[in-house]
Amino acid sequence: MQEDYVNIILADDDEDDRMFFTDAFDELKIGTQVTTFKDGVYLMDYLNTDDCKLPHVLFLDLNMPRKSGLECLNEIKSNPKFNDVAIAIYSTSASEEDIERTFVQGANIYIKKPSSFKTLKKVLSEVVTTNWQYHTNGLNKDNFLLRL
Amino acid sequence: MPHRIYKAPWFIKSIFFTCSFVILIVGGITYRNMDNLSKSSNLVTHTYKVNVQLEQILSYLKDAETSQRGFIITNDPLYLEPYESGRENINNSFVELRELAKNNPTQQKNLKELNKLIDTRMDCFQKSFRFSAVTDLENPNFKEYFYDGKQAMDAVRVKIKDMIALENKLLNEQQETLQSNLKFTPIFLYVVLLMSLFLMYIAYSRIASNLKKLKTSNAQLKIFKESANLSEIVSHHGNWVWDVEEDTYTYSDNLYRLLGEEPNAFEPSLDKFMEFVHPKDVNKLKLDVEKMTETENLPFTYFRVVHKNGKVRHLKSFAKKMVNSEGKTQLIGTTADVSEETKSFRLLEERNLELERNNKELAAFNYVASHDLQEPLRKIQTFLSRLEEKDASKLSDSGITYIDRIKTAASRMRLLIDDLLQFSRTNKADKVFEKSNLNLLLEDAKQDLVEIITREKAIIHTDKFPIIKVIPFQIQQLFANLISNSIKYKTKDRIPEIHITYSKIKASEDANLKKTKKTFYHKITFTDNGIGFDNAYAEKIFVLFNRLHNKEDYSGTGIGLSICKKIVENHKGFIIAHGTPNVGAVFTIYLPTK
Amino acid sequence: MKIYLKFDFQTICKKVLEDTLLAHDIKHKVVGFGEVDLLEKLSPEKLNLLKETLNTYHIEMVENQKSILVQKIKDTIIDMVFNEDTVVNVKTSAYLADTLGHSYGYLSNLFSEVTYTSIENFIILQKIEYAKQLIINDNLSLTEIAFNLNYSSVAHLSTQFKNTTGITPSAFQRIITKRRELNQQQ
Repeated sequence: MQEDYVNIILADDDEDDRMFFTDAFDELKIGTQVTTFKDGVYLMDYLNTDDCKLPHVLFLDLNMPRKSGLECLNEIKSNPKFNDVAIAIYSTSASEEDIERTFVQGANIYIKKPSSFKTLKKVLSEVVTTNWQYHTNGLNKDNFLLRL
Repeated sequence: MPHRIYKAPWFIKSIFFTCSFVILIVGGITYRNMDNLSKSSNLVTHTYKVNVQLEQILSYLKDAETSQRGFIITNDPLYLEPYESGRENINNSFVELRELAKNNPTQQKNLKELNKLIDTRMDCFQKSFRFSAVTDLENPNFKEYFYDGKQAMDAVRVKIKDMIALENKLLNEQQETLQSNLKFTPIFLYVVLLMSLFLMYIAYSRIASNLKKLKTSNAQLKIFKESANLSEIVSHHGNWVWDVEEDTYTYSDNLYRLLGEEPNAFEPSLDKFMEFVHPKDVNKLKLDVEKMTETENLPFTYFRVVHKNGKVRHLKSFAKKMVNSEGKTQLIGTTADVSEETKSFRLLEERNLELERNNKELAAFNYVASHDLQEPLRKIQTFLSRLEEKDASKLSDSGITYIDRIKTAASRMRLLIDDLLQFSRTNKADKVFEKSNLNLLLEDAKQDLVEIITREKAIIHTDKFPIIKVIPFQIQQLFANLISNSIKYKTKDRIPEIHITYSKIKASEDANLKKTKKTFYHKITFTDNGIGFDNAYAEKIFVLFNRLHNKEDYSGTGIGLSICKKIVENHKGFIIAHGTPNVGAVFTIYLPTK
Repeated sequence: MKIYLKFDFQTICKKVLEDTLLAHDIKHKVVGFGEVDLLEKLSPEKLNLLKETLNTYHIEMVENQKSILVQKIKDTIIDMVFNEDTVVNVKTSAYLADTLGHSYGYLSNLFSEVTYTSIENFIILQKIEYAKQLIINDNLSLTEIAFNLNYSSVAHLSTQFKNTTGITPSAFQRIITKRRELNQQQ
């Protein structure tokens, strides 16, 4: 049986961004459980514990101290345990080329951090619903690419 | 005479042989003629001798006749003396004649006959002697004998006459053949001699001209040698020759100078040379020289030498095997002082590195600045949006206006930062060229702009484009920038319409490409019906932060077209703008085909 | 000895149901046959336990009437999009209403309520998924794909693709190709 809430994790070193992120989900009318980490090392430590609850969607900031989002992405992609986790890159804008590269390396979603809270809510809700579609309708997850 | 033959190297040789041949012929002919002459004089002498002997025989016979007659008249034996001696003399003459006639059978036969006749005559004499005037002259026997004697005498006379005539005839015949031989030889000899003289003259003129040329080239060679010496000094290089078989070296003057010595300061040898080489380079050079000994060739090799005064110079050597005209193997080498070049090259290299470092730092700074500026700006904007959303009701009217103003300023700043970031990205050098379908790139560019295109109802006509090797993201960016530029600067009363055309052209056939290196170019034009611009600004619009319009009217940052220019330059192409106010603008892009 | 019994299945079922719910200490109100209103929210564990107990009586817990209908809507749409034999001449809304025997308004509201998305969006999503599949597997050109999926033009397909996924079809193809190359290298 499905859980009736969506499990979400965010790794971002910026406190304000973490706040916007959790606030946005609080205001969205979707049953979500949001966990945040300060950087890639904390995130991976958590994900590598045996009894950790795998998130439906994992949001990664690219620029983080100690362990960057790309390093996390590569680690996660090389571990079959995380096959079902949708990965969203959550970053300040990058070049088209860099965005394509993260997709090639296995990211499913690329989110350019929006500059208004309203857009942020819209974007996050779209991520969750699209992911939900893939989750519930048995769509081919390899084809799951979303850029917002 | 054809000039070619005259110039041929075998020419002189062949003249020499021709002349020798001619002289040989002339000698042979002269020898034969001399031989003939002496033969003919011998013949004359021979004939003369024969004739003399014959005449003598006749004369002796006459003497004998006279003596017989005297004896007969006087019966005095005194008169018989000539007869007695005559007999002896005739015999002698006969011996001689026989000797003279030994090569002539006719005359031998004649001689035999003559001998018989003489014998008959002598017999008649013998018989007649028994008679004398004193005794029995009237004896009929005497008369008979006497008459027989006269008959015999006459026969002898006739015979001798015949023999002389025969001899003379023989002489004449032989003389004639010899004479006829001799008659043409002088003309022939003269002609042949003239010919050889002519040939010798040609040979002489040829040798003389060769000699003259040799002199000129010798003089030139001297000049060359001198100028080579001078140029060695000017260009800091020296020459050396290594005679492989004898293992001897010859150094040019300047080679000594390159080693910091006076010309001919020491006997050139490999060991001596090695003494000058920098200790750290000795082994490497020795290895190279060893190779040179094996392969008889020395590729470019670099080493340092230390002068007596401690100065270190960088030298470069190169040598090539040559076999000289005597068949000896020689290695001709050149050694140049490349200290200055090395120094300036190092300097250039350092400068380049510095420049590269500076460029990288600048690019990194530009990138980091624009990238990192985004974050605080985004937060300002997000907090503004939160403030507006949650606390708008608590703000005064002016507060709301201020927030609006802040929002506008922040948006403007975002635009600038985004464009700057894009500009710095196009600056990054590590772009990969990929075979790309320009149609798809243009389609993607239109997708990027789908909002503004739909809003303005812009019409875009496009040609078919080929697949070419480009940096795909940059070309898409270029297309997007040009399209958005055309739409941004539309007129108020016309729907924006853009024509994008493609053609492959020859550089020589396009006025804009007169000074370019490549032969063929892809030409892509963007023609719009916007507000256009005064063509005087055609170049200025590509300059960073350069704007032709007020930012209240048109929302440009002055970066978009600079990015376009940068992208086209990254592809080693050209972008040219042409504007007509209120009619539109044409942007032409040229990309080299390869 | 033989006795004969007379059953009222409904009462038995109701009794079994009520006993089970009571045994699990769940406050409830039986609404009618095959429908029980739970008066409290159950934790997934508790719900599972209940399900298992009911299963021993061969009583199956139909999870959600609405979900069933939603699933039916989804199935119909997927069949429409993916199965080329299903030729749809009428409008999708009319077709759905006809096939499922409910008004389109009802279906639409129900769908949004359960799935957090609209039927229209779901159709688009499915069509784009199909387009992705065609791009990757069949090497079809965009023109052919647009035709197969009943789009009026390539531009229309591209636009909808971009709107749905945020990337263009060609970028999508590029990414998937490169991803495969990367996986082969590893």
